[in-house]
Amino acid sequence: MRDLAKARNIGISAHIDSGKTTLTERILFYTQRIHAIHEVRGKDGVGATMDSMELERERGITIASAATYCDWKGHSINIIDTPGHVDFTIEVERALRVLDGAILVLCSVGGVQSQSITVNRQMTRYRVPRIAFINKCDRTGANPDRVIQQLRDKLNLNAVAVQLPIGLEADLAGVVELVSMKALYFEGENGEIIREAEIPANLREEAESKRETLLDAASMFSDELMEAVLEGNPTEEMIQAAIRKGTLTLELTPVLMGSAYKNKGVQVLLDAVAAYLPSPTEVTNYALDLDHGEVEVQVTNKPNDPTVALAFKLEDGRYGQLTYLRTYQGTLNKGDTIVNARTGKKLKIGRLVRMHADTMEDIEASGTGDIVALFGVDCASGDTFTDGKINYSMSSMHVPAPVISLAIKPIDNKAQVNMSKALNRFTKEDPTFKTFVDAETNETIISGMGELHLDVYIERMKREYKAVVEVGAPRVAYRETITQRADFNYTHKKQTGGSGQFGRVAGYMEPLEEGEYEFVDKIVGGVIPREFISSCDKGFQKAKEKGVLIGAPINGVRCVINDGAAHSVDSSDVAFQQAALGAFREGYLKAQPVILEPIMKVAVEGPTEFQGSVMGSTNQRRGMIIGTTEEDDYTVVEAEVPLSEMFGYSTDLRSLTQGKAEFTMEFATYRPVPKSVAEQLIAEFKKEKEKK
Amino acid sequence: MLKQELIAKNPIRHLNSGAEGNISSRMGLVISRAGLGKTAILVQIALDSLLNGKQVIHVSIGQSLEKTRIWYDDIFKDIAEGCKLSNPYEIYDEIMRNRMIMTFKESSFSRSRLEERLNDLVYQNIIRPGCMVVDGYDFATADRGIFEDLREMARTMDLQIWFSAVSHQDDQRTSPEGVPAPCHEISDLFDTVVVLEPSSGSNCIDLNIIKDTAGNVTGGLFLQLDTITFMIKEGCR
Repeated sequence: MRDLAKARNIGISAHIDSGKTTLTERILFYTQRIHAIHEVRGKDGVGATMDSMELERERGITIASAATYCDWKGHSINIIDTPGHVDFTIEVERALRVLDGAILVLCSVGGVQSQSITVNRQMTRYRVPRIAFINKCDRTGANPDRVIQQLRDKLNLNAVAVQLPIGLEADLAGVVELVSMKALYFEGENGEIIREAEIPANLREEAESKRETLLDAASMFSDELMEAVLEGNPTEEMIQAAIRKGTLTLELTPVLMGSAYKNKGVQVLLDAVAAYLPSPTEVTNYALDLDHGEVEVQVTNKPNDPTVALAFKLEDGRYGQLTYLRTYQGTLNKGDTIVNARTGKKLKIGRLVRMHADTMEDIEASGTGDIVALFGVDCASGDTFTDGKINYSMSSMHVPAPVISLAIKPIDNKAQVNMSKALNRFTKEDPTFKTFVDAETNETIISGMGELHLDVYIERMKREYKAVVEVGAPRVAYRETITQRADFNYTHKKQTGGSGQFGRVAGYMEPLEEGEYEFVDKIVGGVIPREFISSCDKGFQKAKEKGVLIGAPINGVRCVINDGAAHSVDSSDVAFQQAALGAFREGYLKAQPVILEPIMKVAVEGPTEFQGSVMGSTNQRRGMIIGTTEEDDYTVVEAEVPLSEMFGYSTDLRSLTQGKAEFTMEFATYRPVPKSVAEQLIAEFKKEKEKK
Repeated sequence: MLKQELIAKNPIRHLNSGAEGNISSRMGLVISRAGLGKTAILVQIALDSLLNGKQVIHVSIGQSLEKTRIWYDDIFKDIAEGCKLSNPYEIYDEIMRNRMIMTFKESSFSRSRLEERLNDLVYQNIIRPGCMVVDGYDFATADRGIFEDLREMARTMDLQIWFSAVSHQDDQRTSPEGVPAPCHEISDLFDTVVVLEPSSGSNCIDLNIIKDTAGNVTGGLFLQLDTITFMIKEGCR
């Protein structure tokens, strides 16, 4: 079992093309998990994900598997994959949930880019301590100082260099360690031999000055270090302890640098992971106690307490279906029976494995804070498992509702079967990916968080499941809501022989600032009998599934009932559901309903010369430009743009900017559509309805 | 409170749009030593313009887009809560559509670059600003020609431009009207100059209006910045 104090569960996250795959590969090489270094070819956009998948398949290793285990100087390190693209936000967030620390990889030329900003924001939300690694210092235009400044300015991190590069660009030779004040050179064919030397004379002054900055920053976290600095005798241990303290409290981000491609600085980065990132015991995690009204309880990390483990990723690998689990307290033993807290289903642990880069190791037990995989477990990503003694669920994460959908049609029967398998797998893996069959058109609809999100799944269906599908035009997930309070008073009365139906529901509906729906019962004197109150709630909920404007679901409504009537014989659950349905429809039209559309936060990055055209293009798409950030010859334009206007934007952007700009997009909020668009949508809805 | 009442009661109106809401082209300056609340005042000037239906460009030099945005969010929230503004979300959404933030690194900012950006925006009809606030400009390195050009631009575009400037305690130079260095030699180019000074005996910063050629600031007007809420209020001596 792992020594918890020496265990590290870390993620490596980076903007596309910052060298994450190369860095991960070098880490696996130096930790002797793989025995040869292969190169990854240049890549961009979606290609990166696909390239690395192909690469894995070709070479039979799992660089990008959910968790890879390796050892470094007595420390056991689990590297948890964090997908790079923001379209997969939920996957990133799920990964962040289980890791205790992270390496933020940045390109020394590109610096902090839009994805780094998004991932950093997510890390801050989950309070993940991080160290930064400025990669590609061998590239032309490398400027680590600029990147550190960007970490401070753009990410608001208290970033401090713990290293200094020896030479840059083609002259990169090694790094100066500012803690030990030694120069390190990486020699041998693959940089595996580290030669320690004195700091080159031409860097001495700069190193002294940067060390002073480091000591200033680190001593804020240790009085002992502060005193030692004043007395002029700080030790390496003191400095490291202070940096560690600052990193764990998220108040300091140590910055390392090098070039994974040129085999420089990776081993020192691993030392830093061991030295500065937390062990599972140093991180506070919370679970929800389902038996006590979902009260938040701190998990103990103790091996003898009841087991709590989170299934954070499902993977269909060459070994069959794997479920990756992280234990938060207790132990998982082979042969144990565990309970899925969501479904209540019991299952026996048949095989427990630890994943390495190219092999897996069968283990008998896994301890607290460990990351292991189970075979053939039927569960969904995000499920919590316990040993049945407690009923905990790891705090439920906010799952954003899908904003875009499209219809898919398999080209033949074989594709139909494979498509079903693929969809079944994807919906289990990714809660933001949903699928259903439209009852009216009989089409299979998939929905998700963006055009690219769905594109990747369609591509995966083709590649991994051999399911070729025809794809329809994307559709935006509109919503409806009300804008003012309106009263309702509706009587449902039906007499068709036998016992009739009777129910009267009165009250009002009003806009709800936060949340989708709220039901308030203000009935006094039993005018609506207790047993039918929930029927009213059900009726309202049914009514809000489809608005009258364009048939979209209704959000943001509070329904309050304060009067009504019942009949001793004819009132029933169904009668009150119908009455509530009628009441809702009656009130809804008076409450000034509007159509809402998903608004995306779009960040376009590119050379400054294209700023005007980029702004023009977002403006043409009904975008609201929030602002621009100009830095040297590079500009980021941030805007909020309706999703419906973003289809095909990547093609337009490419042609506008000669392929030199890129954009990221994530869901921001729902906002009312302009009147002209609303009229058009309503007309289209009517037309479609008439057709049917 | 309704939006119109808020506009009419907002103390910053004396400085910005005028009590009658009729001031258009003008160059204004808020100057003080570091950390006294220049950004808070510029943001309130911008918000007053936005509430008056003008479009605003906020040029922030050396500060991130996110930080600048937070200034607006916080100050608007304080205003809305302070005066119990009805439908604040709606008003916020509406006015923020008319605001654009442009951030530059100190090293990459220049007048020509700003002018190029403004022309781009106006030409493409993305925004037609009625007010521009420039926060973080380094006056120590600026020459008179730049401000003459900007003044001309303000006139032709019917634009109010407000700047913030940092003064230093150890530099005692002032213009005849009392405008501190580094703006003392170009003080004639500004129509309004406000010097921020810590108020003796209170937790406030005094807005010392030492120049107002628009003649809008009536005698006896006394504005203060509350250092806790960062809101401008009409003070009493």
